[in-house]
Amino acid sequence: MGEPFKRTRRGVRVQLDEPERALLARLLEDVEEMLALDAAERGGVPGGPDDGVGDDAGEGGPLADDDVLAALEASLDVPPPSDPAVARLLPEGNRDDPELAAGYRRLAQDGLRERKRARLDSAGAALARPAPVLLDDAEAVALLKGLTDVRLVLAERLGLRTDEDAELVHARVMAQRPDDPVAVAATLYDALTWWQESLVHALR
Amino acid sequence: MLTLARSSTCADTRTVLGDSAGRVAPYSGRVSVAPSELEQVEAETVPAPDVPWVTIVWNDPVNLMSYVTYVFETYFGYPRSKAEKLMKDVHHRGRAVVSNGSREEMERDTEAMHEFGLWATFQKDE
Repeated sequence: MGEPFKRTRRGVRVQLDEPERALLARLLEDVEEMLALDAAERGGVPGGPDDGVGDDAGEGGPLADDDVLAALEASLDVPPPSDPAVARLLPEGNRDDPELAAGYRRLAQDGLRERKRARLDSAGAALARPAPVLLDDAEAVALLKGLTDVRLVLAERLGLRTDEDAELVHARVMAQRPDDPVAVAATLYDALTWWQESLVHALR
Repeated sequence: MLTLARSSTCADTRTVLGDSAGRVAPYSGRVSVAPSELEQVEAETVPAPDVPWVTIVWNDPVNLMSYVTYVFETYFGYPRSKAEKLMKDVHHRGRAVVSNGSREEMERDTEAMHEFGLWATFQKDE
C-alpha cells in the first residue's frame, strides 16, 4: 500500500482512492454539521438590549461597581457546548478557575467554532475535486487540522480517555471480531490515524 | 492561512524574548493608567510584581507525537529539538508549559492550540 499523502513540487498529492476520499469528505462535513448545530443551539445573542442588566445601575440607587460587573458578566455568559464531542473541539481555557474559563469562552468560543467550520468546509471541498487531487499549503493544513477534529470526535464517541485506551482500540481492530459493535468506528479511527501521520510527514 | 501568519510573528518575539531569558518581560501597564505623577514615579521605581502567565498543553490519547511536534514548530517557531522535548514532556509527564507571557498572549496561544485540536489551558505561573 502506498502513502496516502505525498509531497510533490506542485503541492501535497492525495493518493487515497475515490471511496476513501469521499468517506473523509463526509466525515469532515459531519463534524462541520455538529459545530453548526452547536452554533444554532446558542440561539439569540445574550446580553441584548432587553435583558435588563444595567438599567438598575442608573436609577436603582447605589449599586456597587463589582455587582454591576458581575451581573453584566453573568448576562454575557457563554455556556460550554452540551455535546461532549463538541466540547472537546471547543475546550475550556482553564480547569480550576470558573471565572477565567467563562472569560475565555466569551473571548474565544464563537470565533474558534466558526474558523473550524470554515476550514472543515475548505478541506472537504478540496477533496471533492476530480483526481488527481493536489492540495496547496493552506488546504493541506486545513485538512491536517480537520483530521484532528474528526479523530477527536470519534475518540470521544469511542470513550478514549487514556493512552492505554488508544492502544486497546488498535488491538480491537487487529482482532477483527465481527460481533464487536465498536469495530467499525475503531477501524475508521485507526485508518484516520494512519492518514494523519502520513499527512504530517508530507508537510514537514 | 491566518494561523500561520500569526505564528511567524510569534516565532520572532518568542525565540528572542521567551527562550534565553526564560520568560517574557512583563508589561508595566500601571504606568499608563496611573492617575497622578506620584504614583507614576512609584510604578517606575518599584516594578509591579512579576506575574507572568503560562500556556500548558496536556496529554491526550488522540494527538500524534509527530503532529504535536509539528504544531510546536510551526505555531511557536521552536526548533525541532525543543519542539520534540516539549512533546515528550506532554506525553510522558502528562503536561508541559509551552509558552509564557501576559494573560492576553496566553489566551491567544491557548486559542491557537485549541484550533490545532490540542488540549491546552492558561493560568498564572506558579
